[in-house]
Amino acid sequence: MPNQTPAGKQRLEVKDLITIGIFTALFYVFTMIGGIPFGINPVLTFYLPLGCALLCGPIFLLLVAKVPKRWAITILGGIICFIMFATGMHWGMWLGYLILGFAADLIAGTRRYRSVRTNILAYAVFCLGATGSYAVFFIDPAGWTAAMLKNGTEQSYIDTMTASAPLWVLAVIIIGTLLVAAFSGWIGGKMLKKQFEKAGITA
Amino acid sequence: MSAADRKGVSFDPRVKLICLCLCVLSTVIAPSLLYELGLVALTAVFGALCGRIRYALIAVLGYAAFYALTVAALGNLTGPLRTTLIAFLGLVHKVYPCGMLSGIIISTTKVNEFLSAMNRVHAPQKLVIPLAVMLRYIPSVREDWNYIKDAMKMRDVSPSLKGFVTHPGMTVDCIYVPLMMAASKTADELSIASMTRGIENPKNRTCLVRIKIRRADILFLCCFALYFGLGFFI
Repeated sequence: MPNQTPAGKQRLEVKDLITIGIFTALFYVFTMIGGIPFGINPVLTFYLPLGCALLCGPIFLLLVAKVPKRWAITILGGIICFIMFATGMHWGMWLGYLILGFAADLIAGTRRYRSVRTNILAYAVFCLGATGSYAVFFIDPAGWTAAMLKNGTEQSYIDTMTASAPLWVLAVIIIGTLLVAAFSGWIGGKMLKKQFEKAGITA
Repeated sequence: MSAADRKGVSFDPRVKLICLCLCVLSTVIAPSLLYELGLVALTAVFGALCGRIRYALIAVLGYAAFYALTVAALGNLTGPLRTTLIAFLGLVHKVYPCGMLSGIIISTTKVNEFLSAMNRVHAPQKLVIPLAVMLRYIPSVREDWNYIKDAMKMRDVSPSLKGFVTHPGMTVDCIYVPLMMAASKTADELSIASMTRGIENPKNRTCLVRIKIRRADILFLCCFALYFGLGFFI
């Protein structure tokens, strides 16, 4: 779409869009690989965002290094949101990715997408998107249970979930996700420096 | 793409997406397991009409197995095993119909049809291009992964959990670096290829396959919409 962004700002070109698409595919696959072992286990299901955050740091950082422009991260969030929606995830999760994708874009944008540290922070914020459905749970546990039971999920399952989920768990989830994401980003940053910058892959 | 893809009715991509929305909403409100079974059956009919008869049969049989397992688990088991199993099955029941439908949609929609349908509804290019690229790249990730696994075996690096624990740095490098190198090379090649084919052309896209909402589309849309509505009354 020409002349959509005001002059003077860098516009996303077709090459950037295709790069975003390909890295989104990798991001999605790695999120799934990290998330599935947690998602299917009632004791661990609350720590799903940690698993999702663990593997994608290098991908996120390389994407931002390759496309250091506004809207790149928002598009990543939007497409992840769409795919999560299409595979039937909880609405809190995909809405979270959409909103925090935009937030992460703003954060990384404060340093013009060039500072690795700010990018890692943006990645951590982005990963919090997966906690959306759990935030919904803690805001309104009763409503959550009712919806789940109506959906054919069992009372005893909810009991186990509730027993394993006092309020401090929410703090653990959020802080844990941030820490895991920071770790993953740290690895990504090192990898970027050691491998990709030398190879001239970054923009 | 072979001629086999042209078998059966080809539905409008827009209608497919709306059906997917309705399918997701139906699983959100699904009042009972029987309702979900019906949804899977409806999806299977849709898949069979799209020419994916074998896929639909296998998917229905798979769901029937899960259904039987759920009924058995609800009836016979007790204790933590039951809870674990129910948790797992709960997730399966929520995701299965949508995953099945999106599997049918992705395997029957060509990228060009999808792109021109999205242009028709004036979706922003900035979202449509990455999305189309992504949908086609996901299968290649697996292909790349198999090659990388073979190469890793040659260098005596194990891509399993054990490898992660014993040589974390090496394993991480050996997985990410080739995958991401391949990804960025593909991105460069693909953008050159698509620019040569005129993806930047500001004029409206044309498409050989006519994108049009036909009677079959409306019929199926109504089926999914009615089924969604039915969920409120059970």
